Amino acid sequence: MMPIWTKSGKKHAVTLLKVQDCHVLKYISKEESGGKTSKLLVGGKNVSPFFKSESAMEIFKEAGVPRKQKVTTFNVTDDAIIKPGTPLYAAHFRPGQFVDVTAKTIGKGFQGVMKRWGFKGQPASHGQTKTHRRPGAISTNKAGKVYRGKKMPGKMGNVYRTSFGLKVWRINTKHDIIYVNGSVPGHTNCLVKVKDSKLSTYKDCNKNPPFPTFFADGDEKLPENLYDEEIFQFTDPSVRYA
Amino acid sequence: RMSSDGKPTKFQPPPKPVIIDKQKLGVERRFLSPEFIPPRGRTDPLKFYIERKDMIQRRKVFNIPEFYVGHILAVTTADPHANDKTNRFVGICIQRGGKGLGATFVLRNVIEDQGVEVCYELYNPRIQAIEVLKLEKRLDDNLTYLRDALPEYSTFDVNMKPVSHLEHEEIPVNKLQVRMKPKPWSKRWERPKYNIKGIKFELPAKKMKEAQKWSQPWLEFDMLREYDTSKLEEKIWKEVSEELKK
Repeated sequence: MMPIWTKSGKKHAVTLLKVQDCHVLKYISKEESGGKTSKLLVGGKNVSPFFKSESAMEIFKEAGVPRKQKVTTFNVTDDAIIKPGTPLYAAHFRPGQFVDVTAKTIGKGFQGVMKRWGFKGQPASHGQTKTHRRPGAISTNKAGKVYRGKKMPGKMGNVYRTSFGLKVWRINTKHDIIYVNGSVPGHTNCLVKVKDSKLSTYKDCNKNPPFPTFFADGDEKLPENLYDEEIFQFTDPSVRYA
Repeated sequence: RMSSDGKPTKFQPPPKPVIIDKQKLGVERRFLSPEFIPPRGRTDPLKFYIERKDMIQRRKVFNIPEFYVGHILAVTTADPHANDKTNRFVGICIQRGGKGLGATFVLRNVIEDQGVEVCYELYNPRIQAIEVLKLEKRLDDNLTYLRDALPEYSTFDVNMKPVSHLEHEEIPVNKLQVRMKPKPWSKRWERPKYNIKGIKFELPAKKMKEAQKWSQPWLEFDMLREYDTSKLEEKIWKEVSEELKK
């Protein structure tokens, strides 16, 4: 995470996400998958092809791509279908877009009710016998049962969670890095899924994105760093107020 | 003058004094700002490389002078609410924290009997100028104990003139022993964990001996705590100096 300053002098914290060897693996049509739209399977980081069965390696063999650590599905409209085997780059996103980021949260193991659900617990002194971090009462007398989904101690973390509506501030095309506003679930160097935002306020925010995706062997030559309009770039002199 | 064999000797001029001008010798003092050294962790070195590129970019446009804890600095920032939109603060640098773009330094001064500390970010674009008024290192890395010292040690004239300093000379170390206000202090500075050499402790010997009970002499032999940055520093110094010369 890094600080970033706008032209008005405000500071924002930014997470860096690296797009490492992403390839499109497979195209599943609407009828095959049984959903509302067709799907595209996309794979992430490259890992060793050993220690895996032949059946799992089939998908990678067909696409002609080394084995990937993570495979995710994206629901895609028919005009955005990409041929399996094309690499995907960070330039697929542009500064000013809004994005949802999904990842597995940091696993905390078996945790008590105070850390997991934020219960207040009991006082430390004034006669409490062996009761300082317990949940207390779990249901009423009239109910006569404990409701399903009652907040109780259990395994915390290591679950997929999404942060919605994160602004993309800057894109580094040379190293394939996306600078995304705010924090993102997961530990450092964990695998993350980045999608266009589904929030209704940001529906019209994507002005002329590269559609269906950014092809590296195409005609466009992008500069090394793409900045949002409001970012203070370090090549400019210091901010002054009129 | 007659020599031993009777002939007049030729006048031998005295040997010329040899002045070694350090500036011409080019013995450079290497200073790598501490925020360039990456902390120990599992982050990808690519992130530090990119952050360093940004930091060098900012340093090319705006000069951040070499300074240590104990220097007296004057910082002018852009302030939208001031009359002439600038804000100048003079103070002694107490501590330098943070790594990478978020590096900060805290300046302390006593203005009209009120102690004021301001934390500035080195790479904040609102900072318009950083001037070093007096170069002087102190015995410690962290001068936070000045909060519990007598206020005369933290007062500095706001309109102080910059004291001149030649480029190639060593930065002088001020071995000042600071006198403290009566206890209680904000932290127990006599304890060995702070390892402060710049305070003149006027406590009874019994208290000083009792403070040594909290000493942890095994810490200096702990191998897991060792973080040898010399090779990293060499690489980063080369990279940074080459980029800045361009």
